[in-house]
Amino acid sequence: MKWIQKNITKIIAFIFLMLIAFVWIIPLLWSILTSLKSEVEMQTIGYKFLPIQWTLQNYIEVLADTVSAPIAKWFLNSMVISISHTALMVVVASMAAYAYARLEFKGKNILFWFLMATMMFPSIINLIPLYKIVDILGWVDNPLAVIVPGLGGVFNIYLIRQFLLGIPKELDEAARIDGASELQIYTRIILPLAKPVLTVVALFSFTGSWNDFLWPSIVFNSIDKMPLTPGLRLLQGVYDIEIAHLMASAVISIIPTFVLYLVAQKYFLEGLSASSGVKG
Amino acid sequence: MSMKQQIQPTAHTPILSKSLKGQMLKQKVVPYLFIAPHLLLFIIFFAIPAVVGIYISFTKWNLYTPPKWVGFKNYYEILFNHDSTYYMQLRNGLGNTLRFVLMSVPFCIIVPLFMAIALNTKTLGNKVFQSLFYLPNLLSISTVVLTWVFMFHRRLGPINNVLKIDINWFGTQPFTWTAIIIITVWWCIGGNLVIYLAALAGIRQDLYESASIDGANAVNKFFSITLPGLKHPLAYTLVLTTIAQFNIYGQPLMFSKGGPKATTHVMMMYIRELAFGSGQSIAGLASAMSVMLGLCILSVSTFQFILMRNND
Repeated sequence: MKWIQKNITKIIAFIFLMLIAFVWIIPLLWSILTSLKSEVEMQTIGYKFLPIQWTLQNYIEVLADTVSAPIAKWFLNSMVISISHTALMVVVASMAAYAYARLEFKGKNILFWFLMATMMFPSIINLIPLYKIVDILGWVDNPLAVIVPGLGGVFNIYLIRQFLLGIPKELDEAARIDGASELQIYTRIILPLAKPVLTVVALFSFTGSWNDFLWPSIVFNSIDKMPLTPGLRLLQGVYDIEIAHLMASAVISIIPTFVLYLVAQKYFLEGLSASSGVKG
Repeated sequence: MSMKQQIQPTAHTPILSKSLKGQMLKQKVVPYLFIAPHLLLFIIFFAIPAVVGIYISFTKWNLYTPPKWVGFKNYYEILFNHDSTYYMQLRNGLGNTLRFVLMSVPFCIIVPLFMAIALNTKTLGNKVFQSLFYLPNLLSISTVVLTWVFMFHRRLGPINNVLKIDINWFGTQPFTWTAIIIITVWWCIGGNLVIYLAALAGIRQDLYESASIDGANAVNKFFSITLPGLKHPLAYTLVLTTIAQFNIYGQPLMFSKGGPKATTHVMMMYIRELAFGSGQSIAGLASAMSVMLGLCILSVSTFQFILMRNND
């Protein structure tokens, strides 16, 4: 009894969290279980939580489709897009952040705060002209249309700059006296020290690119060129009532971000609170 | 002698100052080389589209032939011409978007707040809970909707079957909005949760202890210590969540297809249909609609910038 009294808040919190966890996990569990049922079983037997006959048939069929819903191709397209976007983002954003945090040049502060202020600008207004620009560049239906434009964003520069401001200036100055060039200081001193924040930027760039929906669904027309996220919407039309196939596709689409999350959960969670400016 | 001494340095000076000048020039130019790649991308893919987007809203344009200046005609059409279908679309689209923002934002703030407070008791399985709650945030909206469409399936879905009800979640209100809000909360509270947890960990424990000695109960402590301690993160998440929800698109598009009777047909769907739909593009008018939606977002995001500046 004493133990219960002493830990009453913890016990209430635990019960509350268990209830929420149940709600949180059911949709995920349900799609995985459904993806392992056969279509026939579902349509004839009706609602049943667990599969009677466990099968991987849906996955095999979904991955084998190369015409109407080539999910394997979409997956590959998404991989190429997200990895290229992430790599370029880390380079472009860290270079700019290095200059804004550590170098002196005319108009630095005005330029930086101007860029920050543009974050307020509602990006929906950019959408139609951006399409036109991508069209002029000949990038419609081309992965470049989803790899490049996002690199002009400013939030990651802000994030990296905040981190770089915390590195002692003496490090650069000592290197400069030894005759190191700015490029050497950036690549040999700053980048290695900035690894934590660069990891955060890379993870969020990858997942952001992987999950982007509206923009890729506008710039891709050909089925075999598009990434996975807009592809999944087409699937809704292709499979329609073949629910187990839909669920198998949904499960496949989760895999890369899920694996990243398993490996680098710490960075996701710490990066989020760092970007909000809340000191943990 | 003295002449010679004078000559020597002058003979060297031009060379020395040349290399010094080069050094200084290099110091001046190098920083710009570091910001140049980003700045170029920023100008092409952000600055130009932003300016053009506003300009286009004052023109008649089909994306391919040169735009024709029409002044405020598009705005008149969508704001005041009661007979126009575009007037109806803006009214319905912006109305539905606002309705969604007002319904979803409170849940996206309060639900993770309570979850964070519960997690902060450091109960059993704390880390596992936290990982699970954040997970949906990493899924794309199309994956999320595909998953939930079958949760809400009328005949085969667990919700109707377990609760022993027969609700058409896709075609009757208020059930369709309810489902969309549930999906949205499930999808996006993860970020806010993590932010609140970090802030809670930063509140000094001795404040609670001395409050207990003074005889404060849990409710007193929540209102006099916890909430004030969360002031900044609450404001920050409120602004960011509101902006994010104004951009609602994927949920109604894939879950209810804008129905029933266009009650979930949101602004982004109209803008997309008008500019990139199957018919002739009316990009000018769609831009005017984007500007209207943009103004709503801008009024909120101004606060975001102020918060970030105060934080620097």
